[in-house]
Amino acid sequence: MASPVSVYNSNALDAHIASTPRESLKMELLADVSLLPGEERIIDKDIIYMCHFNGAVKGKVLITNYRLYFKSSDADVTVMLDVPLGAISRVEKMGGASSRGENSYGLDITCKDMRNLKFALKQEGHSRRDIFDLLFRHAFPLSHGLPLFAYVTQEKYAENGWNIYKPVEEFRRQGLPNNKWRITFINKSYDLCDTYPTVLAVPFKSKEEDLRRVAAFRSKGRIPVLSWIHRENQAVIVRCSQPLVGMSGKRNRDDERYLDLIREANDTTKLTIYDARPSVNAVANKATGGGYEGDEYQNAELIFLDIQNIHVMRESLKKLKDIVYPNVEESHWLSSLESTHWLEHVKLVLSGAIQVADKVSSGNSVVVHCSDGWDRTAQLTSLAMLMLDSHYRTLRGFQGLIEKEWISFGHKFASRIGHGDKNHADQDRSPIFVQFIDCVWQMTKQFPTAFEFNEHLLLTILDHLYSCRFGTFLYNCESARDQHEVRSKTVSLWSLVNSKMDIYLNPFYTPESGRVLYPVASMRHLELWVTYYIRWNPRIRQQQQSPVEQRYKELLALRDEYLKKLEQLQLSDSSTSSRLANSPTPNTSSNTSPSQQYTHLHTPF
Amino acid sequence: MEFSEHIKTANVEDVVLRQPLHPPSRGTLCITGHHLLFSDREEGSSRQVLLLLRNIDAIEKRMSGSSGTITIKCKDLRVLQLDIPGMEQCLNIAHSIETLSCLDCVSEMYPFFYRPADLSLQDQWGLSTPEKHYSQMKELCERWRLSSVNRDYSVCPSYPSAVIVPNSIDDSTLKKVAKFRQGGRFPVLCYYHKKNGMVIMRSSQPLMGANRKRCKEDELLLQAVIDGSDKGYIIDTRSSQQAQQARMTGGGFESKSCYSHWKRLHRQMDRGKALQESLIKLVEACGDESNNMDRWLSKLENSKWLSHVQTALSTAGLLAECVERDGHSVLVHGSEGTDSSLLISTLAQLIMDPCCRTLDGFLALLEREWLQAGHPFQQRCARSAYSHARLQQESPVFLLLLDCVWQLWRQFPLALGFSEALLIRLATEVYASDYGTFLCNSDQERCAMGIKDKTHCLFQALLRPGERDFYSNPLYEPTELAIWPSVHPQSLQLWRGFFLRWTQQARHLEEAQEEIRNMLIEWGKLALS
Repeated sequence: MASPVSVYNSNALDAHIASTPRESLKMELLADVSLLPGEERIIDKDIIYMCHFNGAVKGKVLITNYRLYFKSSDADVTVMLDVPLGAISRVEKMGGASSRGENSYGLDITCKDMRNLKFALKQEGHSRRDIFDLLFRHAFPLSHGLPLFAYVTQEKYAENGWNIYKPVEEFRRQGLPNNKWRITFINKSYDLCDTYPTVLAVPFKSKEEDLRRVAAFRSKGRIPVLSWIHRENQAVIVRCSQPLVGMSGKRNRDDERYLDLIREANDTTKLTIYDARPSVNAVANKATGGGYEGDEYQNAELIFLDIQNIHVMRESLKKLKDIVYPNVEESHWLSSLESTHWLEHVKLVLSGAIQVADKVSSGNSVVVHCSDGWDRTAQLTSLAMLMLDSHYRTLRGFQGLIEKEWISFGHKFASRIGHGDKNHADQDRSPIFVQFIDCVWQMTKQFPTAFEFNEHLLLTILDHLYSCRFGTFLYNCESARDQHEVRSKTVSLWSLVNSKMDIYLNPFYTPESGRVLYPVASMRHLELWVTYYIRWNPRIRQQQQSPVEQRYKELLALRDEYLKKLEQLQLSDSSTSSRLANSPTPNTSSNTSPSQQYTHLHTPF
Repeated sequence: MEFSEHIKTANVEDVVLRQPLHPPSRGTLCITGHHLLFSDREEGSSRQVLLLLRNIDAIEKRMSGSSGTITIKCKDLRVLQLDIPGMEQCLNIAHSIETLSCLDCVSEMYPFFYRPADLSLQDQWGLSTPEKHYSQMKELCERWRLSSVNRDYSVCPSYPSAVIVPNSIDDSTLKKVAKFRQGGRFPVLCYYHKKNGMVIMRSSQPLMGANRKRCKEDELLLQAVIDGSDKGYIIDTRSSQQAQQARMTGGGFESKSCYSHWKRLHRQMDRGKALQESLIKLVEACGDESNNMDRWLSKLENSKWLSHVQTALSTAGLLAECVERDGHSVLVHGSEGTDSSLLISTLAQLIMDPCCRTLDGFLALLEREWLQAGHPFQQRCARSAYSHARLQQESPVFLLLLDCVWQLWRQFPLALGFSEALLIRLATEVYASDYGTFLCNSDQERCAMGIKDKTHCLFQALLRPGERDFYSNPLYEPTELAIWPSVHPQSLQLWRGFFLRWTQQARHLEEAQEEIRNMLIEWGKLALS
């Protein structure tokens, strides 16, 4: 547990570096990599890893069609790197054949996950040419006519994660269809809207031709459709893209009538439209044919949520990276953090979602959109649903939420992440999904017993957002996924997760079905997610992580035992009902399920 | 009672109380010698609010027409508001609060009147004594002895009556050393590291003065500390420049030429006024209600509170490194040796010694290193962050300690046997308490006041069965290893549980922690049965 280096800047004391016995011979260095099915060695090489924290480390690098793996050969310092090629955004040559200075010739690799890697090679004989070319080819397979690794590997898991989300079943879980809302397959061949899923829920009274006319007035045909309905008050969350109002202030009666149908569905006097953008941006969008709902929408109010666009978010995270990698800002940390505005953006997204959730839980239906309705809109609807519906706070429910609001509704993962694409400066890239996961993490911090999953799940999701090992986050929308046969040719990330669930579970989870979670979205209560954004810095990493995980596992075992005993008690209770009267245990009713018993036991505290 | 002369109006009806986390309520306000009592008269509820007047840091009164409003700002950072009908009544109440909340006479304070039914004054007071502490560590007796040179507190008024010193140094030498150290605080042992026999000593600065006085006995004592090993470290909690300057006022440092086997390391730690001002700025930033885009992080940074936390933890880390990793004994002091020295010796012991990390062990550590070692609680904690009074000796050193311990607790959630609730409770009790524990400035004063006979002991109360559960960490798993805190600013957090404790969110987290505690207790019971 002792930290590897002297961290208290005592110049009087020697730095201690954890040492390991010299038993691993150089040739065996790469023996302990366990390759995935379909993973193949491309090249390996002696190389020097220019570690930002430990200095130059000699070792061997292995590049496969999936990963870059490095292990030090130095007996004194064990340094290991295992980076999926999908996490690489940029590979560059560093120095030239005539560069002077030690270790000035080599490769400079920028990753999508908040780190950079530098390797030095011998200057003579163009020693980096082959490795550079091969790495460049395999890190960006789509730019070189190669398949993504997800199509190459044939991993087998006990569970098939592609079954986690079925739109019709999810609607049925919400109580749909009903007499106000119907399920339509109008988009079954993606001709109404090519970035929407095939199954949509729309107002019962709307006709198919209405939908087509509304689609003509909404950017990219992304018409208002139902995401979630409140079981008791029937208020709904509806999502869409901006109306095509344009400079001339066009109106569309069908669109106006359609929104009024949404309002009517639960008999409230006003429909609230949340436009995620700052109002100036919404106005500016008129110049390019877009805009927002004006006064012609009677019975509707429009509220701007002031959330910035993908470019602002990208630059903000870039600034954050500048102050945490490779060196963390020391002397003015908090004001530097403030100047990145990252937490401020997180705050605005969260507080927007809180407004949506609050409106819905008080019985008013809402429509949420931004410009295209696939970035900020997805953040807002999914976070609001997470606050409103405890189902999404379970391990499987959360997977369904991501499948539904992000993947099926066409968050442009391929463009935002740039899977397999060499064009690192693409203006379409943006960490919108990372920001969403950050918001979820903030919520789990504020409500430590409300989520069935733990931080490890969030980290795993973000790692595989880039890795290209699973098909889950590939492509921009369902139509593209169908075209590339993602479901039949690749494995789902949820197969991995659900085949080994226990490591993703929060032992302190207490299911509470009715509760709406309102996180506090004040700057005072938000934290930087250090264990994600600064996880590559060994000096910052919290030194006790693994004991905590170990303890979590023990606790889960204890919890299982507890539930089992409760079940036994229940059985014996129901068989010998005479004992019930003076039973010391509080579970006196015998027709409830063990999990209900379990919550019931804890409510008195 | 003489309190009555300060109470012109004892009861007011129809007062509206506004307090955090509760809706406003209407009821009767009552003032007694030590308390402000509010009884809710709303239909169907009989809630009462009992506030120690000592807890009140500042009040503001505002008159409008025939009624007035008193805003009460407490040392536990709570802000209450009372709407009182009748101008005269309001002024009377305000006057009573102002006078009674800052009475100086110790024997009139509430702990001398607090007599709960379930505690007896005959109960044991405190957890340990220097004698007991010494006798518990058998390894000590070979080279260390318990000296009662200070039995009548004449050698050092701020030390306890018994202290641990090297075997080879007799009492008459100690008396001479005491004359060479500010306030008589000669070097004494405060921690013995069992793994390697190294020790932490603490003292005040040597009185070397402008003409570089020496004291043979002082040099002898320190030589006896390292006894044969090659060298020791002195951690001076001032910058070397400050240490040099201290010579002008009679103080100084251990010079290389006179203490050749000791190596001095200077680590500047802010103290006194600087700390108090930092706390004031922090609390002001936390209480600022103008929420939006309010440059919160800059304000937090400008308060410098977290950099004080960082300095304290990293200096303590350095101290622990010297002892545990490098295997050297260390002497710690600043100038008086009653504030930062105690802060870092306490933290270093938590880092190194698993015995200090249990609930009992931690309280005993506080008793040894703060109460017996003479941290002047009464002076330091007379006022807190809201007070407008001119600062005298106030300084939140103990609060800083609790914050640092919380950072450890957060970084090592399994390694400490006590809960965050304990730290919050201590942070409250140190400013205003029913118990006598934090009264006075030293052991000597406490003896003179008869604290141990006339008041109840907080630490004993915290260890009663029901309380013990509440203040224990349900996830605790003892580890023998040292817990090295990360001191990067990215690893340190604002202690929201204390500084933002009167917000809804802090309440949520408390509830969740309570839920987790109960869960673990239930599971544990069933696993055993």
